[in-house]
Amino acid sequence: MFKKNRDLCKRITFLYLFPLILLITFSAAPAFAHKVTIFAWVEGDTIYTQSKFSKGRKAKGALVTVFDMEGNRLLEGTTNEKGEYSFKIPKKTGLRVVLKASMGHMAEWKIPVEEIAAAHASQNKTPETKVIGDTGSPSNRAGSKADTEQPTSGSTSLQREEIRRLIDESLDQKLSPIISMLADSQDQDPGISEIMGGIGYIFGLVGVALYFANRRKTQEVRGQRSEVEK
Amino acid sequence: MHISEGVLSPAILIGGAVVTMAGVAIGLKGVDNKNIPKMGILSAAFFVASLVHVPAGPASVHLILNGLLGLILGWKAFPAILVALGLQALLFQFGGITTLGVNTMNMALPAVICYYLFGWSTKSSIKQSVFITAAFASGFCAVLVSSILVGFSLYLTGEAFLPAAKLIVAAHLPVMIIEGIVTATCILFLKKVRPELLEEINV
Repeated sequence: MFKKNRDLCKRITFLYLFPLILLITFSAAPAFAHKVTIFAWVEGDTIYTQSKFSKGRKAKGALVTVFDMEGNRLLEGTTNEKGEYSFKIPKKTGLRVVLKASMGHMAEWKIPVEEIAAAHASQNKTPETKVIGDTGSPSNRAGSKADTEQPTSGSTSLQREEIRRLIDESLDQKLSPIISMLADSQDQDPGISEIMGGIGYIFGLVGVALYFANRRKTQEVRGQRSEVEK
Repeated sequence: MHISEGVLSPAILIGGAVVTMAGVAIGLKGVDNKNIPKMGILSAAFFVASLVHVPAGPASVHLILNGLLGLILGWKAFPAILVALGLQALLFQFGGITTLGVNTMNMALPAVICYYLFGWSTKSSIKQSVFITAAFASGFCAVLVSSILVGFSLYLTGEAFLPAAKLIVAAHLPVMIIEGIVTATCILFLKKVRPELLEEINV
């Protein structure tokens, strides 16, 4: 009787528990991903960064280091509770923002010099830099269009600044959902096609390995056969 | 537990690559038709297991299954893990190509250690309770040793060893327990359904 019970228990374990465990583990698969990502963008004279492990888990208290393109360290800091870190543009060059989270996770984001130059130009209120800024961001182009419609005099330059500031502000506001969307799209989880592709690769390799192992064997057999015939 | 590219110093990368190459060479010696499908299936299992994530501490951790691989494959876990990690690096950008050697070593060496520690338990003459305990311990220890190895790799690059290792071990504690259970369940299942899979290991 007792033994029967134990057998039943075992059967239940194998029939139900094993698939259940598999189901639980695999259904949890898309919930959390592995690598860490950092996304940085320029807003005004400040650079904002957002760091996270995939699926929105913020990388808290991770070290952010900023380098210029020559690899000189410019500044560093740690991310806050939301995984964010922001700093004033330290230098008008391309920047490399490197994130170091714990356990050997690392990510980086490059900000090209054009983005920073454009941001700088829009901050500068002098007409000379405005021309440089013209080639850069659309916000400046819009600003200078407004300029040409105005006759140049002392009082209108103030107006111009005001208009540019307003445009910049509203653009930043309008673009912020797009920026956060971009930030979200930075950490794509491995999709089903990649996973299947990987498994396919492994089985393909098994096939190749088996082919060679088999060929070796058949050659041996053939060799033996030919020896026998001799 | 994949170490990203650019974290480790070149000396460690080369050291890890050498250990991995040696392990793969030993693993590939004496591979025959019977072992190849087994290695492939376990390699695929390892490949998928890394996508099962558990949130813990400041990073997310995932199933590893290297204890299971070690118990069934012994030294052949090295090539199996190398293939899986290589594909993960290529397809998912987990880890990286330059860190492949170190990452493989960190995962496969504990598997081999577990094979020597607990491999005897898969023989059919062993009592079931002992066998289950050993399988659990194998899953548990493999992750533990892996965590320590990762901490050690980071330490050699200049990160303080104790805090890093403590953090990694602490973060993986739930994974160790889950791994132990999964390993024990899988092995028990295999022993019931396909005992010959476990019997035929010769290193």
